[in-house]
Amino acid sequence: MAYIDLPSGFPGISGLMVYRPETAKPLNELAQALLAAPSTLTPGERELIATYVSAQNDCYYCQNIHGAIAAHHLRGNEQLVLNVKQNYQGAEISDKLKALLAIAGKVWRGGKHVTTQDIERARQQGATDLEIHDAVLIAAAFCMYNRYVDGLATWQPQNADFYRSRGAIVGEMGYVNLKREPVDIEDTAASKAAG
Amino acid sequence: MESKMKPMFLPEVEKNSQPSFQADTIKMLQAKGEEYPLILHLFAYRPEATAHLTRFTREVMRGDSPLSEGFRELIAAATSAGNHCLF
Repeated sequence: MAYIDLPSGFPGISGLMVYRPETAKPLNELAQALLAAPSTLTPGERELIATYVSAQNDCYYCQNIHGAIAAHHLRGNEQLVLNVKQNYQGAEISDKLKALLAIAGKVWRGGKHVTTQDIERARQQGATDLEIHDAVLIAAAFCMYNRYVDGLATWQPQNADFYRSRGAIVGEMGYVNLKREPVDIEDTAASKAAG
Repeated sequence: MESKMKPMFLPEVEKNSQPSFQADTIKMLQAKGEEYPLILHLFAYRPEATAHLTRFTREVMRGDSPLSEGFRELIAAATSAGNHCLF
């Protein structure tokens, strides 16, 4: 149960966005600019950074929805998403993305943990200043989104099919033109808690 | 004055200000030879993304709310102190 009275049937951040559309609009536009707008990093790479940071923050909803969006962009490769969350150094991703994930991990621990060596390593792997900039901003923004979602204890259904189908929709539509409607899904965790 | 300011990690961010009110502010303060917070460069570099952050901040800090603007700034200041972010 969320800590405040949110509209029912809207999981994770979507309930907060329906509750407070004034702040939701720029938050969605920021997500669109960072994750979905044209960039030299693919949408799959950028969603992997968002997923990794969300997993580090232990945000169930965010890591699963963005993991599903990432998988959608990565031809359904859910195993790769899992590998990045668990040990990205051993995952089948580019060295450039590994260097950007290392920076994202430092931003997650705290911005001051990022060092000139981290930046240099990313540059050596071919990352541009714009790519490094965006990786840092994605990591910082997701620390905010994750805390927003968990800080109000939003409903986070434990249903892999929900994330899979929603992830495909967001992957196609992006963040700004999304329709938000209440969902009616089997939530194994919630029914267990109720019982 | 400017020599006292440490360079940023990403020189391109400092060199490539896009049209924005932050870029105007940077120019004005540079012309006066004053030090200025480098967060202005972050916002001027990538306004396609950061303009939304500006709008978000304006809404959450200055928009309609039962919390006074002063109290909201106290929350922001306390959180920044907790994060050891001096600015």
